[in-house]
Amino acid sequence: MAADLGAVIGAARAQGSRRAGGRRAARLPRPKLSRRGRTEALFFWLFISPWLVGFVGFLLGPMIASVYISLTEWDSFTPPVFVGLDNYVQALTGDPVFWKALWNTFYYAAISVPLGLAVGLWLANLLNKKVRGRKFFRTMIYLPTLVPLVATAMVFKMVLAPSGPLNDLLGVFGVHGPNWLLDPLWVKPALIVLSAWGAGSATVLLLSAMNGIPREFYEAAEIDGAGPFRQFWSITFPQITPIIFFNLIMGLIGAFQIFSQVYILTQGGPDNASMMMVPLLFDQAFGFYHFGYASAVAWLLFVVIIGFTALAFRTSRRWVFYETEVR
Amino acid sequence: MNARTRWTKGVAGLAVAALGMTALAACGSGEDSADGGVTTLTMTVWGGDVDKKSYQQRVDMLEEAHPDIKVDLQLIPSEQYEQKVQTMIAGGNGPDIMQVAEGVNVYSSKNQILPLDEYVSKSGMDLQERFGPTGELYSYQDKVYAIPDRSGAMIVYYNKDLFDAAGVDYPTADWTQEDAQAAMEKLTVPGKQWGYGGAGWWAQWWSFAYQNGGQIIDDAGAPTVNSPEVVDALQWANDLTFKDHVVPTAAEYADMGPDMGGDPAFAAQKVAMNTTGFWAIGGLLESDFDWDIAPMWQGDEQAVSAFGSGLAISRDSEHPDKAFEAIDYLTDAEAQQVIIDNAQDVPANVQVQQSDAFLKPKWATKDINMAAFAESSDFVFTSPLIPEWNEMQAAFDDNLGTFWNEGGDAKTQLDAIQTKLESIVGQG
Repeated sequence: MAADLGAVIGAARAQGSRRAGGRRAARLPRPKLSRRGRTEALFFWLFISPWLVGFVGFLLGPMIASVYISLTEWDSFTPPVFVGLDNYVQALTGDPVFWKALWNTFYYAAISVPLGLAVGLWLANLLNKKVRGRKFFRTMIYLPTLVPLVATAMVFKMVLAPSGPLNDLLGVFGVHGPNWLLDPLWVKPALIVLSAWGAGSATVLLLSAMNGIPREFYEAAEIDGAGPFRQFWSITFPQITPIIFFNLIMGLIGAFQIFSQVYILTQGGPDNASMMMVPLLFDQAFGFYHFGYASAVAWLLFVVIIGFTALAFRTSRRWVFYETEVR
Repeated sequence: MNARTRWTKGVAGLAVAALGMTALAACGSGEDSADGGVTTLTMTVWGGDVDKKSYQQRVDMLEEAHPDIKVDLQLIPSEQYEQKVQTMIAGGNGPDIMQVAEGVNVYSSKNQILPLDEYVSKSGMDLQERFGPTGELYSYQDKVYAIPDRSGAMIVYYNKDLFDAAGVDYPTADWTQEDAQAAMEKLTVPGKQWGYGGAGWWAQWWSFAYQNGGQIIDDAGAPTVNSPEVVDALQWANDLTFKDHVVPTAAEYADMGPDMGGDPAFAAQKVAMNTTGFWAIGGLLESDFDWDIAPMWQGDEQAVSAFGSGLAISRDSEHPDKAFEAIDYLTDAEAQQVIIDNAQDVPANVQVQQSDAFLKPKWATKDINMAAFAESSDFVFTSPLIPEWNEMQAAFDDNLGTFWNEGGDAKTQLDAIQTKLESIVGQG
């Protein structure tokens, strides 16, 4: 976890420093390594090699292969037939299900990610107060994250039943609840409700970041007459923006790749109303034997995710605050 | 789920098709050894514990009867079976004997399994005599690609207690669709009990379509799902729920519990009749109400779907002769009887279906009208096992989701499906 966090923040910083200058530093001839330097280099390669072999063999290799496969028609039995960009053209112009799945995935990501962050932030802020039984509440809020997704989904099937507990609860307030998983209009909100179930993991990260904020800030603010809201917006929030940013990126990637929930709860139905990108490419590859098309869909999804991640990084300069970068 | 697993999962998801490739590469080369005159064959089947037991028992019998054959039996969980076998074949390491079902022609149309006609005639096996009308079910372009192994028609389960209470005669093969509906109406207690479990599954409403004289794919291979016969069948199946209210709606099923449907609802006495396959018998033996089975009712003609699986030989097999010898033995009466003795399924062999071992199974704790299966096999319709079977099913699912959940017009939906199917089948 810490390593990922470092990588994301590091990348953000690297962009920052590149901006600051040094772009045109003259390239010096590489210094000759000392004997010790050579030994260290040897050990570097030795220790990194398990990862390197794994990465090249099981990740980079297949990824490159899938670029090629995406340009072919391949059923996995007979030799692939090169078709150029046909698969991409087919996805973008000839397949209504692709656009439906893309729209559904956008819909899901656009609501579930901010919602997850907001709920996480809210819970973390509550847990950061000095209340009785704080440890107990922390445990309870993190607990749902530990329940296997399959079990959660099964429980949600009951919770979301037309006369299930959720609709009973809504009924108390006079709201007639929908047939969540059976109604094309409500099946995506139902999946979003399920996604909020996992807000506990963001909460824990945000909470630890909040704990790291020096007390003096709040004391000084209090002396200056800042109320709790002002304290939150002017101290807590800016101080934890790096963690919010990290959760945003991870949340985006996770949301665009939603699979298991769909597979267990709806299989994409009714009428593809909950069909998402990864379930779609899974069906195309392993159900319909269109591996080329599935690979093309995978790469289109990759482009979408990279696009949104880049967008997040670009805007991050405006709202993510790193104390060490204060000049 | 922590962030790292999400990352890993993410990348895996991205390269999912590509990862399949690696898996192929990772599978080493096969080792079909033939030393000492003993040939080792690999055989892949799907299923759970009871299937494992049955297949292993049959393989043991085979090895005893044919000392020169050894079988390496691989049981794969059903939901992973297609992927696993697909990967094995793509890696040039296909099993010698593989279990196939509705998806058979994905393999046969791409020459991944061997045509068996020559082996059949050489061995003197008579498909008609041994398996009845299902003998050539697994054919593609007039060649047989798999030998039937398990094959049972869909049957009507009925709750005798509820029938007696409502004063309705028990179902028979002579019932018409109208008789069936009249019974369903009498057996329905609004909001509490329903006459029938519903026909939302292809095996169910397709049976009605074929009873009307319709076809999903015609004999020339063209889709005909928006013909009046098919439209009427689908509309009837849907009206039973939304017009006549003799079948629970999707919402009512969802309220009964997760993954609720006709089978569990029948066991819970919520529906008085249910149409499904052999597999429901095992669970019902422990129920505390009286029930029995009957052949499917009829429309303009008699028709019912059947479920089963066959055994095929992959193109990678180095010993197709031995593999066929094994299949011949496994589908012969003696080995087939194991299937019913273990209450696993209906054996495809008609001789066994008519034997006492089948009609009075030793595990039956009550009288069951097992003859319903043999009776049904006379009018089983031939399912359109096109190579694009999975895509065809998806075309139905994609356009009938709301229709089954909320009701609707069958003609509109089937027109859309017809267009979709024409593009799927046209792709070839």
